[in-house]
Amino acid sequence: MSNPNSLEHDIKTLIIEALGLEDIDASDIGSEQTLFGEGLGLDSVDALELGLAIQKKYGIKIDADAKDTRNHFINVASLAAFVTARQAA
Amino acid sequence: MINFNIAQWRAWAPGLDSVDAWRDWCQAPTLLAQSDAAPDVSFLPAMQRRRLSRLARMAFSVGWPLAEGLQDLPLVFVSRHGETPRTLDILSDLANDQPLSPTQFSLSVHNAVIGLWSILRNETSEMTALAAAGDGLEHGMLEAAALLNEGAPAVLLVITEEQPPPAYTRWINDVPFPYALGLLLTPGDEWQLALHTATVQPTETQWPHALNLLRTLLDEQGACQHAWKNRVWNWQRKP
Repeated sequence: MSNPNSLEHDIKTLIIEALGLEDIDASDIGSEQTLFGEGLGLDSVDALELGLAIQKKYGIKIDADAKDTRNHFINVASLAAFVTARQAA
Repeated sequence: MINFNIAQWRAWAPGLDSVDAWRDWCQAPTLLAQSDAAPDVSFLPAMQRRRLSRLARMAFSVGWPLAEGLQDLPLVFVSRHGETPRTLDILSDLANDQPLSPTQFSLSVHNAVIGLWSILRNETSEMTALAAAGDGLEHGMLEAAALLNEGAPAVLLVITEEQPPPAYTRWINDVPFPYALGLLLTPGDEWQLALHTATVQPTETQWPHALNLLRTLLDEQGACQHAWKNRVWNWQRKP
Protein backbone atom coordinates (compact mmCIF):
# COMPACT_ATOMS: atom_id res chain seq x y z
CA MET A 1 0.00 0.00 0.00
CA SER A 2 1.31 3.39 -0.90
CA ASN A 3 1.02 6.19 1.57
CA PRO A 4 -1.68 8.52 0.23
CA ASN A 5 0.12 11.57 1.51
CA SER A 6 3.23 10.77 -0.44
CA LEU A 7 1.16 9.90 -3.52
CA GLU A 8 -0.42 13.35 -3.31
CA HIS A 9 3.02 14.88 -3.05
CA ASP A 10 4.17 12.87 -6.08
CA ILE A 11 1.19 14.07 -8.09
CA LYS A 12 1.88 17.68 -7.16
CA THR A 13 5.47 17.28 -8.33
CA LEU A 14 4.23 15.64 -11.52
CA ILE A 15 1.87 18.56 -12.17
CA ILE A 16 4.69 21.07 -11.75
CA GLU A 17 7.10 19.17 -13.98
CA ALA A 18 4.68 18.09 -16.69
CA LEU A 19 3.07 21.51 -17.00
CA GLY A 20 6.23 23.60 -16.63
CA LEU A 21 4.87 25.64 -13.74
CA GLU A 22 7.54 28.19 -12.97
CA ASP A 23 8.15 29.61 -9.51
CA ILE A 24 6.00 27.20 -7.50
CA ASP A 25 6.71 24.00 -5.61
CA ALA A 26 4.65 21.10 -4.32
CA SER A 27 3.86 22.81 -1.02
CA ASP A 28 2.16 25.66 -2.92
CA ILE A 29 -0.52 23.32 -4.26
CA GLY A 30 -3.24 22.40 -1.81
CA SER A 31 -4.58 18.84 -2.11
CA GLU A 32 -8.13 20.19 -2.18
CA GLN A 33 -7.31 23.17 -4.40
CA THR A 34 -9.22 23.25 -7.68
CA LEU A 35 -6.81 22.58 -10.53
CA PHE A 36 -8.65 23.94 -13.55
CA GLY A 37 -10.11 27.35 -14.24
CA GLU A 38 -10.28 28.94 -10.82
CA GLY A 39 -7.76 27.79 -8.22
CA LEU A 40 -4.46 26.79 -9.79
CA GLY A 41 -5.65 28.17 -13.14
CA LEU A 42 -4.81 25.29 -15.45
CA ASP A 43 -6.44 25.11 -18.88
CA SER A 44 -7.63 22.47 -21.33
CA VAL A 45 -4.18 21.81 -22.84
CA ASP A 46 -2.92 21.23 -19.28
CA ALA A 47 -5.73 18.71 -18.75
CA LEU A 48 -4.57 16.69 -21.74
CA GLU A 49 -0.90 16.99 -20.75
CA LEU A 50 -1.60 16.00 -17.16
CA GLY A 51 -3.74 13.06 -18.27
CA LEU A 52 -0.85 11.84 -20.42
CA ALA A 53 1.69 12.30 -17.61
CA ILE A 54 -0.50 10.35 -15.15
CA GLN A 55 -1.00 7.52 -17.62
CA LYS A 56 2.73 7.31 -18.28
CA LYS A 57 3.85 7.52 -14.68
CA TYR A 58 1.27 5.21 -13.13
CA GLY A 59 0.70 2.89 -16.06
CA ILE A 60 -3.04 3.38 -16.04
CA LYS A 61 -5.48 4.12 -18.83
CA ILE A 62 -7.69 7.20 -18.73
CA ASP A 63 -10.72 7.42 -20.96
CA ALA A 64 -10.93 11.09 -21.93
CA ASP A 65 -14.59 10.72 -22.88
CA ALA A 66 -15.76 8.94 -19.74
CA LYS A 67 -18.24 10.97 -17.72
CA ASP A 68 -16.41 10.60 -14.41
CA THR A 69 -12.97 11.55 -15.78
CA ARG A 70 -13.73 15.21 -15.13
CA ASN A 71 -14.45 14.41 -11.47
CA HIS A 72 -11.13 12.64 -11.03
CA PHE A 73 -9.29 15.77 -12.17
CA ILE A 74 -10.92 18.20 -9.75
CA ASN A 75 -7.98 18.35 -7.38
CA VAL A 76 -4.89 16.47 -6.22
CA ALA A 77 -6.83 14.49 -3.62
CA SER A 78 -9.33 13.20 -6.18
CA LEU A 79 -6.50 12.33 -8.58
CA ALA A 80 -4.68 10.40 -5.84
CA ALA A 81 -7.85 8.46 -5.03
CA PHE A 82 -8.35 7.71 -8.73
CA VAL A 83 -4.75 6.50 -9.19
CA THR A 84 -4.97 4.34 -6.06
CA ALA A 85 -8.24 2.77 -7.20
CA ARG A 86 -6.93 2.08 -10.71
CA GLN A 87 -3.70 0.59 -9.48
CA ALA A 88 -5.57 -1.71 -7.10
CA ALA A 89 -7.90 -2.85 -9.90
CA MET B 1 10.91 48.04 -55.55
CA ILE B 2 9.47 48.95 -52.16
CA ASN B 3 9.98 51.94 -49.87
CA PHE B 4 9.61 52.18 -46.11
CA ASN B 5 11.07 53.60 -42.93
CA ILE B 6 12.66 51.54 -40.18
CA ALA B 7 11.32 53.47 -37.19
CA GLN B 8 12.84 51.26 -34.47
CA TRP B 9 14.59 47.95 -34.05
CA ARG B 10 15.30 45.42 -31.30
CA ALA B 11 17.53 42.39 -31.48
CA TRP B 12 18.52 39.52 -29.25
CA ALA B 13 21.08 36.74 -29.31
CA PRO B 14 22.76 34.97 -26.37
CA GLY B 15 24.80 37.64 -24.60
CA LEU B 16 23.64 40.40 -26.94
CA ASP B 17 20.69 42.13 -25.37
CA SER B 18 21.47 45.84 -25.54
CA VAL B 19 22.07 48.40 -28.24
CA ASP B 20 25.69 48.78 -27.11
CA ALA B 21 26.31 45.03 -27.18
CA TRP B 22 24.94 44.88 -30.73
CA ARG B 23 26.97 47.91 -31.76
CA ASP B 24 30.12 46.12 -30.60
CA TRP B 25 29.15 42.91 -32.33
CA CYS B 26 28.31 44.69 -35.56
CA GLN B 27 31.74 46.32 -35.67
CA ALA B 28 33.52 43.01 -35.24
CA PRO B 29 31.05 40.19 -35.86
CA THR B 30 32.07 36.87 -34.37
CA LEU B 31 30.46 33.52 -33.83
CA LEU B 32 28.80 33.45 -30.41
CA ALA B 33 29.52 30.61 -28.01
CA GLN B 34 26.85 27.89 -27.72
CA SER B 35 24.43 28.89 -25.02
CA ASP B 36 21.09 27.89 -23.56
CA ALA B 37 20.45 31.46 -22.46
CA ALA B 38 16.97 32.77 -23.24
CA PRO B 39 15.76 36.36 -23.19
CA ASP B 40 13.83 37.77 -20.25
CA VAL B 41 10.10 37.77 -20.91
CA SER B 42 9.03 38.42 -17.34
CA PHE B 43 6.63 41.07 -18.69
CA LEU B 44 4.39 38.11 -19.52
CA PRO B 45 2.35 36.42 -16.76
CA ALA B 46 4.10 33.27 -15.48
CA MET B 47 1.21 30.99 -16.43
CA GLN B 48 1.41 32.23 -20.01
CA ARG B 49 5.13 32.28 -20.54
CA ARG B 50 5.81 28.78 -19.19
CA ARG B 51 5.03 27.09 -22.50
CA LEU B 52 7.08 29.44 -24.64
CA SER B 53 10.13 27.92 -26.28
CA ARG B 54 13.28 29.98 -26.63
CA LEU B 55 12.24 30.82 -30.18
CA ALA B 56 8.93 32.22 -28.94
CA ARG B 57 10.71 34.04 -26.11
CA MET B 58 13.12 35.61 -28.60
CA ALA B 59 10.21 36.74 -30.79
CA PHE B 60 8.34 38.21 -27.82
CA SER B 61 11.42 39.90 -26.36
CA VAL B 62 12.19 41.83 -29.56
CA GLY B 63 8.57 42.42 -30.60
CA TRP B 64 6.97 43.42 -27.31
CA PRO B 65 8.86 46.71 -26.70
CA LEU B 66 8.35 47.74 -30.34
CA ALA B 67 4.60 47.20 -30.03
CA GLU B 68 4.42 49.25 -26.83
CA GLY B 69 1.53 51.69 -26.99
CA LEU B 70 0.56 50.71 -30.53
CA GLN B 71 -2.83 49.20 -31.22
CA ASP B 72 -3.92 47.40 -34.36
CA LEU B 73 -0.35 46.59 -35.28
CA PRO B 74 -0.09 43.95 -38.04
CA LEU B 75 2.69 41.41 -37.53
CA VAL B 76 4.85 39.57 -40.04
CA PHE B 77 6.64 36.69 -38.37
CA VAL B 78 9.48 35.11 -40.31
CA SER B 79 11.43 31.97 -39.51
CA ARG B 80 12.95 29.62 -42.04
CA HIS B 81 13.38 26.63 -39.76
CA GLY B 82 10.94 27.35 -36.94
CA GLU B 83 10.83 25.34 -33.74
CA THR B 84 13.37 22.68 -34.64
CA PRO B 85 13.92 21.45 -31.03
CA ARG B 86 10.16 20.96 -30.60
CA THR B 87 9.87 19.26 -33.97
CA LEU B 88 12.64 16.84 -33.08
CA ASP B 89 11.01 16.05 -29.71
CA ILE B 90 7.71 15.26 -31.40
CA LEU B 91 9.32 13.18 -34.14
CA SER B 92 11.36 11.30 -31.54
CA ASP B 93 8.20 10.45 -29.60
CA LEU B 94 6.56 9.26 -32.81
CA ALA B 95 9.59 7.14 -33.72
CA ASN B 96 9.54 5.57 -30.26
CA ASP B 97 5.79 4.87 -30.40
CA GLN B 98 5.24 7.27 -27.52
CA PRO B 99 2.10 9.37 -27.26
CA LEU B 100 2.62 12.98 -28.33
CA SER B 101 2.67 15.76 -25.78
CA PRO B 102 -0.49 17.82 -26.35
CA THR B 103 1.41 20.96 -25.38
CA GLN B 104 4.24 20.29 -27.83
CA PHE B 105 1.76 19.37 -30.53
CA SER B 106 -0.40 22.46 -30.02
CA LEU B 107 2.65 24.72 -30.33
CA SER B 108 4.32 22.91 -33.20
CA VAL B 109 2.65 24.72 -36.08
CA HIS B 110 4.52 27.58 -37.68
CA ASN B 111 1.92 30.16 -36.75
CA ALA B 112 1.82 29.18 -33.05
CA VAL B 113 3.93 32.19 -32.08
CA ILE B 114 1.64 34.69 -33.77
CA GLY B 115 -1.35 32.92 -32.23
CA LEU B 116 0.15 33.39 -28.77
CA TRP B 117 1.02 36.98 -29.66
CA SER B 118 -2.59 37.60 -30.62
CA ILE B 119 -3.92 36.05 -27.39
CA LEU B 120 -1.44 37.71 -25.05
CA ARG B 121 -1.74 41.17 -26.62
CA ASN B 122 -5.41 40.93 -27.44
CA GLU B 123 -4.35 41.87 -30.96
CA THR B 124 -6.67 41.07 -33.85
CA SER B 125 -4.82 42.73 -36.70
CA GLU B 126 -3.62 40.76 -39.68
CA MET B 127 -0.70 38.48 -38.88
CA THR B 128 1.35 36.29 -41.13
CA ALA B 129 3.86 33.54 -40.43
CA LEU B 130 6.34 32.97 -43.23
CA ALA B 131 8.95 30.31 -43.83
CA ALA B 132 10.93 31.32 -46.87
CA ALA B 133 14.42 30.33 -47.92
CA GLY B 134 17.57 32.13 -46.81
CA ASP B 135 16.05 35.42 -47.89
CA GLY B 136 13.05 35.21 -45.59
CA LEU B 137 13.84 38.70 -44.31
CA GLU B 138 13.26 40.19 -47.75
CA HIS B 139 10.12 38.15 -48.38
CA GLY B 140 8.85 39.36 -45.02
CA MET B 141 9.63 42.93 -46.07
CA LEU B 142 7.52 42.48 -49.20
CA GLU B 143 4.62 41.27 -47.05
CA ALA B 144 5.08 44.21 -44.67
CA ALA B 145 5.27 46.69 -47.55
CA ALA B 146 1.99 45.33 -48.89
CA LEU B 147 0.36 45.89 -45.50
CA LEU B 148 1.76 49.45 -45.33
CA ASN B 149 0.49 50.04 -48.84
CA GLU B 150 -2.97 48.95 -47.69
CA GLY B 151 -2.93 51.74 -45.15
CA ALA B 152 -1.45 50.24 -41.97
CA PRO B 153 0.25 53.09 -40.07
CA ALA B 154 2.96 50.66 -38.90
CA VAL B 155 3.86 47.00 -39.34
CA LEU B 156 5.95 44.88 -37.00
CA LEU B 157 8.34 42.42 -38.62
CA VAL B 158 9.95 39.78 -36.42
CA ILE B 159 12.53 37.39 -37.82
CA THR B 160 14.02 34.70 -35.63
CA GLU B 161 15.91 31.45 -35.89
CA GLU B 162 16.65 28.84 -33.26
CA GLN B 163 19.88 26.87 -33.08
CA PRO B 164 18.86 23.55 -34.61
CA PRO B 165 19.52 20.33 -32.65
CA PRO B 166 22.64 18.43 -33.86
CA ALA B 167 20.44 15.97 -35.79
CA TYR B 168 19.74 18.74 -38.30
CA THR B 169 23.27 20.05 -38.83
CA ARG B 170 23.69 18.22 -42.13
CA TRP B 171 20.80 20.20 -43.56
CA ILE B 172 20.76 23.50 -41.73
CA ASN B 173 23.85 25.63 -42.14
CA ASP B 174 22.48 29.16 -42.05
CA VAL B 175 21.92 29.56 -38.31
CA PRO B 176 25.29 30.37 -36.73
CA PHE B 177 23.59 31.03 -33.38
CA PRO B 178 20.05 31.74 -32.15
CA TYR B 179 18.91 35.26 -32.92
CA ALA B 180 15.90 37.48 -33.33
CA LEU B 181 15.45 40.86 -34.97
CA GLY B 182 12.36 43.03 -34.69
CA LEU B 183 11.73 45.95 -37.03
CA LEU B 184 9.01 48.52 -36.61
CA LEU B 185 8.26 49.60 -40.16
CA THR B 186 6.36 52.71 -41.15
CA PRO B 187 5.49 54.32 -44.50
CA GLY B 188 8.25 56.47 -45.92
CA ASP B 189 11.17 56.51 -48.30
CA GLU B 190 14.20 56.35 -46.02
CA TRP B 191 14.84 52.84 -47.24
CA GLN B 192 14.45 51.22 -50.59
CA LEU B 193 14.56 47.50 -51.30
CA ALA B 194 14.83 46.22 -54.85
CA LEU B 195 15.05 42.73 -56.28
CA HIS B 196 17.36 41.88 -59.16
CA THR B 197 18.17 38.66 -60.86
CA ALA B 198 21.76 37.56 -60.75
CA THR B 199 23.41 36.93 -64.07
CA VAL B 200 26.34 35.25 -62.37
CA GLN B 201 26.16 33.20 -59.18
CA PRO B 202 26.18 35.83 -56.41
CA THR B 203 28.08 35.31 -53.18
CA GLU B 204 26.05 34.64 -50.08
CA THR B 205 26.73 36.83 -47.08
CA GLN B 206 28.59 35.31 -44.16
CA TRP B 207 25.90 36.24 -41.65
CA PRO B 208 22.14 35.77 -41.88
CA HIS B 209 20.47 38.61 -43.75
CA ALA B 210 18.78 39.94 -40.62
CA LEU B 211 22.10 40.35 -38.82
CA ASN B 212 23.77 41.75 -41.89
CA LEU B 213 21.01 44.34 -42.19
CA LEU B 214 21.54 45.25 -38.54
CA ARG B 215 25.21 45.85 -39.30
CA THR B 216 24.19 48.20 -42.10
CA LEU B 217 21.75 49.98 -39.77
CA LEU B 218 24.21 50.40 -36.92
CA ASP B 219 27.29 51.20 -38.96
CA GLU B 220 25.35 53.94 -40.74
CA GLN B 221 26.22 52.36 -44.04
CA GLY B 222 24.21 53.42 -47.06
CA ALA B 223 23.50 50.09 -48.59
CA CYS B 224 23.84 46.35 -48.45
CA GLN B 225 23.28 43.52 -50.86
CA HIS B 226 21.83 40.14 -49.97
CA ALA B 227 21.77 37.29 -52.42
CA TRP B 228 20.02 33.96 -52.26
CA LYS B 229 19.97 31.56 -55.17
CA ASN B 230 19.43 33.78 -58.20
CA ARG B 231 17.76 36.55 -56.22
CA VAL B 232 19.77 39.65 -55.42
CA TRP B 233 18.24 42.11 -52.97
CA ASN B 234 19.60 45.64 -52.86
CA TRP B 235 18.94 47.61 -49.70
CA GLN B 236 19.50 51.32 -50.12
CA ARG B 237 19.30 54.04 -47.49
CA LYS B 238 18.28 57.49 -48.66
CA PRO B 239 21.46 59.60 -48.65
